[in-house]
Amino acid sequence: MPGTSLRFTGLRRRFGRLAVLEGVSGAVAEGEALLVTGPNGSGKSTLLRCLAGLLAPDAGTVELTEEGRLLDPAGRRRSVGYVAPDLAFYEELTAGENLAFFSRLRGAPPARGQDLLARLGLPAERQAGALSSGMRQRLRWVWALLHRPRLLLLDEPFQNLDAGGEAAARALLAEHLAAGGLAVVANPSPLELGRAAPNLALG
Amino acid sequence: MPPPTSRSADWLAEAGAVFVKEWRCELRTRYALNTLALFAFTTLVVASAGLGPLGASAAVGTPVLPVLLWLILLFAAAAGLPRSFVQEEETHTATALRLAATPSALFCGKLAYGATLMVALEALVAPLFLAMMQLDVAAPGLFVATLLGGGYGLAAANTLIAAMIAQARGRSTLFAVLAFPVTLPLLLLVVELTRNAVAGEPSGGALTQLLLYDATVTVASLMLFPVVWNP
Repeated sequence: MPGTSLRFTGLRRRFGRLAVLEGVSGAVAEGEALLVTGPNGSGKSTLLRCLAGLLAPDAGTVELTEEGRLLDPAGRRRSVGYVAPDLAFYEELTAGENLAFFSRLRGAPPARGQDLLARLGLPAERQAGALSSGMRQRLRWVWALLHRPRLLLLDEPFQNLDAGGEAAARALLAEHLAAGGLAVVANPSPLELGRAAPNLALG
Repeated sequence: MPPPTSRSADWLAEAGAVFVKEWRCELRTRYALNTLALFAFTTLVVASAGLGPLGASAAVGTPVLPVLLWLILLFAAAAGLPRSFVQEEETHTATALRLAATPSALFCGKLAYGATLMVALEALVAPLFLAMMQLDVAAPGLFVATLLGGGYGLAAANTLIAAMIAQARGRSTLFAVLAFPVTLPLLLLVVELTRNAVAGEPSGGALTQLLLYDATVTVASLMLFPVVWNP
């Protein structure tokens, strides 16, 4: 994935009078995972939402470059793979139907979703509303990787996963990084992520 | 850069996927269908009992009954259509949509769903209304065109306003405040057209105005939607 990089500089975000992010900066290069740690409420999720283009920062810049081209916030939203606790799916639809729907939106081949479902051991025919919290987390992983994103934004990515689920998710993350992908991983406590960029501690 | 035809096909596939998803979810929960049908049926019965063939003479019925028909359709639509976007926010599926969908394709898919839902509602309500009120329509072609154009206009206005209020607090109040100026010209037009259809009078320029209203709301929605949908 040549020419891919992420750089964010001086990010500031307030909610009313509460300053959640204040001058946060960092950078990630190809094949690197940046681990963002900090206690609850330190702004890890807010940072990831700003990086994804889901939240506009009050100040600062986010520069995601792919193939040497700087993406605007709309391009960033379409490009990133995002795993977060606030990501939900249509409970009336099965896991397979949810993925088929988002595959069509993402322009991803249906076989990609089926392959990822099999790797994460997720039953395609189970209704999303009937999935356990661990199974929902697996579905978030599948959803995030559907379109082969170059940047993965992972907010507490191994939350609720059992040992098998965590191993499968870690394997997918390792493959992503080995292929030159980037990742920003937010977690309250340190995680072993292989070849990692310097950690960013918030709070 | 992909050729324009490929991008158009991708856009159409996205809008189609949203349309199919909306109907699939709706047919499994029947939330909007039940809300719209129940509201329409209740008001129909009340109107029929109070102002039906025994309560309204032909002289009074022609000017009054079209107003009633469109009030029923307006409030039934307002009860069901805004759920489309509000539910995405309440169930937190909006995040996945924001990251995966092209805003204009998302809006058009939702609009197509709302418009077909309105057609289904009108197909249920209009014949029942005419039968229960014993109201004869002298120009059925104009009547059907008014129902289709008015239904589309209501769906487009409701879809846009629903997107605007979905992330706000006090949604019900905000919906009423925003819907009033947007739907008032539409309602005045469709009531006039329905009266013309019942009396067998020519539509004059009102049908053209209705089409212009629909086109204006659609274009304005496509321009506004990315702004209200994204941060």
